Amino acid sequence: MNILRTRRVATLGASLLLCLALVSAGGTAVTAGAAPSVPGVTATQITIGATVPLTGIASFGYNEVAKAANAVFKYVNARGGVNGRKINYVLKDDCYGTPGFGCTGVPSTPTQTRALISIPVFATVGSLGTPTQDSVRTLLKANGVPQLFVNSGSLDWNDPTNYPGLFGWQTSYNEEGKIFAQYINATFPSANVCFLGQGDDFGTDGLAGLVDGGVTPTVTDLYSVTSLVLTNGANIEPYIANFQSSKCTVVVLDTIPGATDAALGAALALGYTPQWVISSVGSDPYTVFTPLAAKGLTTDPEIGAVSFSFLPTPGSSSPWIPWMYKVLEADPTDFPGFTSTSTLNGNMEYGIGWGVAFVEALKAAGRNFTRASFLQTLTSTTFSQTPALLPLQYTPSDHQGLNGGFLTKVISSTEVAPITGKIYVTNSLPGGPVTAATKFSTGIPSWLK
Amino acid sequence: MSRLVFPRRQFLPAGLLVAGLVVAFVVTPRLRDGVAIAVAVVIAAASVAVLVMPNVRQAHPVIARALLTLVALDATLLLTFFLSATTDFNLAVGAAMSIVLLGLSFLTGASGQISLGNSAFMGVGALVVAMWADHHATTPIVVTILIAVACGAAVGLLLGLPATRLRGPYLAGMTLAFVVAFPALDNLFSSWTGGDAGLELPTPVTSPHWLAGYFSANTSSFTLGTIWMTDMTVIITAVAFFLMANLFASRAGRAMRLIRDNDVAAELVGVSLPRARVLAFIVSAAYAALGGALWTLINNSVSPPTYTLALSITILSLMVIGGIGTIPGAIFGGVIYAYSTNVITWFTSHVGIGSQSNLASQMPGIVFGALLILTMLFAPRGLTGALHRLREWRRDR
Amino acid sequence: MDAFLTSRIVSDILEGLTNGVIYGLIALSLVLIWRSAGILNFAQGAMPMFATYLGVIVFAGDFGYWPLVAISVAAGFVLGGTTERVLVRHLYGKPEINPIVVMVGFLIVLEAVAAAIWSTTPRGIPSPFSPIDWHLGGQPVALSPFSVYEIVTALVVMSLVAALFRFTKLGLQLRASALAPEVSRLLGVRVNRMLTLGWVLSTGVGTICTVLVASNFFTGLTPQVMDGIFAFGFIAAAVGGLDSPVGAVVSGVTIGIILQFVGDYVNSNAIILTALIILIVSLMLRPNGIFTKSAARRV
Repeated sequence: MNILRTRRVATLGASLLLCLALVSAGGTAVTAGAAPSVPGVTATQITIGATVPLTGIASFGYNEVAKAANAVFKYVNARGGVNGRKINYVLKDDCYGTPGFGCTGVPSTPTQTRALISIPVFATVGSLGTPTQDSVRTLLKANGVPQLFVNSGSLDWNDPTNYPGLFGWQTSYNEEGKIFAQYINATFPSANVCFLGQGDDFGTDGLAGLVDGGVTPTVTDLYSVTSLVLTNGANIEPYIANFQSSKCTVVVLDTIPGATDAALGAALALGYTPQWVISSVGSDPYTVFTPLAAKGLTTDPEIGAVSFSFLPTPGSSSPWIPWMYKVLEADPTDFPGFTSTSTLNGNMEYGIGWGVAFVEALKAAGRNFTRASFLQTLTSTTFSQTPALLPLQYTPSDHQGLNGGFLTKVISSTEVAPITGKIYVTNSLPGGPVTAATKFSTGIPSWLK
Repeated sequence: MSRLVFPRRQFLPAGLLVAGLVVAFVVTPRLRDGVAIAVAVVIAAASVAVLVMPNVRQAHPVIARALLTLVALDATLLLTFFLSATTDFNLAVGAAMSIVLLGLSFLTGASGQISLGNSAFMGVGALVVAMWADHHATTPIVVTILIAVACGAAVGLLLGLPATRLRGPYLAGMTLAFVVAFPALDNLFSSWTGGDAGLELPTPVTSPHWLAGYFSANTSSFTLGTIWMTDMTVIITAVAFFLMANLFASRAGRAMRLIRDNDVAAELVGVSLPRARVLAFIVSAAYAALGGALWTLINNSVSPPTYTLALSITILSLMVIGGIGTIPGAIFGGVIYAYSTNVITWFTSHVGIGSQSNLASQMPGIVFGALLILTMLFAPRGLTGALHRLREWRRDR
Repeated sequence: MDAFLTSRIVSDILEGLTNGVIYGLIALSLVLIWRSAGILNFAQGAMPMFATYLGVIVFAGDFGYWPLVAISVAAGFVLGGTTERVLVRHLYGKPEINPIVVMVGFLIVLEAVAAAIWSTTPRGIPSPFSPIDWHLGGQPVALSPFSVYEIVTALVVMSLVAALFRFTKLGLQLRASALAPEVSRLLGVRVNRMLTLGWVLSTGVGTICTVLVASNFFTGLTPQVMDGIFAFGFIAAAVGGLDSPVGAVVSGVTIGIILQFVGDYVNSNAIILTALIILIVSLMLRPNGIFTKSAARRV
């Protein structure tokens, strides 16, 4: 028996060795394929992508941002595209990175980002969320994919040394906080101020800006988004009750609209009426009031709240406003039933704002560009004809984006209006001063009209 | 196997040799080198298995299992060379999930305890990897993974000790409370764990330079990196399965199954109930932590909001659909997890449901839940049980 | 007196009571199922949620608040009975894990179908009771007309259930069927019908609880609205003992109050951690629940 088995094993070993020898001798490397081209770019089309919250707690309101930008791209495509190329924008849902029962089966942000890289996309443009975009920085960098116009005000996007392809767009939470601080010190000089922020860069950067601008809150609280989802917003109520018992007359909210709603509702029940100061990303009246109205509220508790913006208000005389209406009316797929009497809300304006910026950057990059040359164009051009009231400028050492804005007040359940109309600029360095802006945007470029 | 007539077996080595020659001279020039070598190794390993197994299976079961694992591993590695980067990535995610399913299968199938806490154990493993890598970037990956597994086992011990005295629904309740409390625990130590936002790994996993030589010159580094990552995950998965297979068959595994079926008899025979229960918990926690650790490496980041009750329920569902207490069940579950979303999306788009509609986004939930109910009602042993019955039915004909 | 009523401690007690009766109701419905069918129903929050959607959203424009509540509760009865007949009937006598898994699957399906039909946007069910707290001397008391409505409704439901079990023949039959089904059959009790009735009752109680939660201005109705509450209710039932309705209610209320204090004096994170600790400690001391009369192990 043993001899038989040994023979069998020996036969086998021999055939195995022979196989391997023949294989290594017979193998030849397959020759290289086509010449390298710019990923995501063909003669007629450029493909870009983004991960956005199409479902989940952050989706109401926020899911309109990328669609509004896409409306700009569709408008430009209908006029022949940019330098002869149409823009193909691929959106992937990541549920704001908070999977749960409301988002069964939605893949994570890294998974969706990898899917975008595989397409391939030229760059990700307008992906939304601070923790979500933080989690894919090294992935995108390692694959050489630029991460442009991240929809978040965190300071993390301004890191040219480590992430040369990473760019923000909006005014940072830190800068917004400084401008809020200046307003609070001027208008409510000795008030008790309380702060509620999201438990990530959104909250901590905003708080740092507030403190740096000279306002130190009496009570500071940070809420967790997972808790917000699990308790349907009930986790915010104890914070507001605490603010009331600490006798705060000014409350600063660095919250997403879902949490803003919870805070306003809690204050209503407690009979607490502080002066609300709400971050631009969480204060859009339409986004905030609609869920409250669905719960039976007839008066909007947000009226009178102070907020911040860097885009023209719908009631202003900026030529961009009618242009935005034109673009949205031309996109019945994503904005069905949008007419000249519909409300232009903050999410739409935000999306159109950076959508136009991307289109202009693409035009400035010329017909033949690479990823490297595109980034070079971004950091050497001043974009002074975008919807934002201030010029958009990046430098090789500053990838943050816009750096200022103006204060607004919520005047109805659909509208904000400027308080003074004065536009401020600052920077996110410690002690950076808040000064009046001197350079402004100069209208719509002729080729875009 | 036993139905093979003896004379036919003698032609097998000759046939395999011919196959090897064909592969070397005909197939190889049309493929990439790495593939050809993998093909040859598969054939070699399969032939070893075929010839040696029937005799060895009784005498040396461990070697038999090792060979089987090797063959499956080879075939999977070969597959990864052909698949697209996205499919490979999904395979890696599914493989890590199958490790978690294996752990839960052992706990539930082998010892009868119901645990909903596995996603929290995954979270522990996932967080430990990220926290360690952020502070000690030079530790080899395997060591970091082992540390994460050890931490998972430690937490399993902590939870397993109280669990020994609990029956059925109370045990389920305790594990439920643990998984619901996990985000709060994560936030409690947020300066270490990054709170809700989580942590990013300092550098992504990249493929070693020698791998590129096996593929054609225009293969992107993205594809190479994905293939390397997937292959490493699959190898670790194979090792985990091999260990579990041995544990199932060992004395400890048999003791567990006795406890599940009749705990009074087990006690009479001398099995220490509390010790066995705690061991089951520790093993399942360690496996879950391994799965979570791999997820962090695959995603290059850890996002604590991923590890919630919903994930625990998904894990339970996958295990049931695959087959409770079985090894093939864990593999089925992993594959389903990896590709079900794609399949469902393909299905909804072809049936004509708008991709942005509510129905489309809820379809995975509807399909999963329905599958779970139907499986439990009509095929309680899951896919594995159904396949067994099919094989028996065919054998009886 | 005013200062006392608006003090932090009393506020916490009142708010904790309001939350606690909700946990108590869900715990009670869990205990009802456990006692009658021996099944742990993971869909105990999802089934009433679906019934509430059926009742409220479908008929939203047509009726006022009270008729909508009545329709929802009726839908809850029907859903509970149908579930028992169609789904659960096949599971009696099977291994413990089977009904748990089936109810988990049911949970997933119900939430997904509800979200598919009615989306995850929160709906409000405006109740005739204002959610704005009363004020005493300019300070809020932690009670509003709505929270009083919640507490009173919960207490009424609990008393009705207790009365049903203790003082009516039907209640006696229900208890007998659960405790000794064979003997009850011999004595003429329609055991199968009692099982169905147990589910009907339990889902009805759950639906009343869900209606209260959904009418709450802060939460509103979403497909996931009962998830967190189910978890706390389950913890309360496990602490009190799955066999004991009294235990469920008492532990629900007590846990609600304790957690409110923890949330106020410590922080939000500590709430669920405290619940976990309470559960572990109580199960260590009494593995079958605090209020269970220790049953002999069936050998």
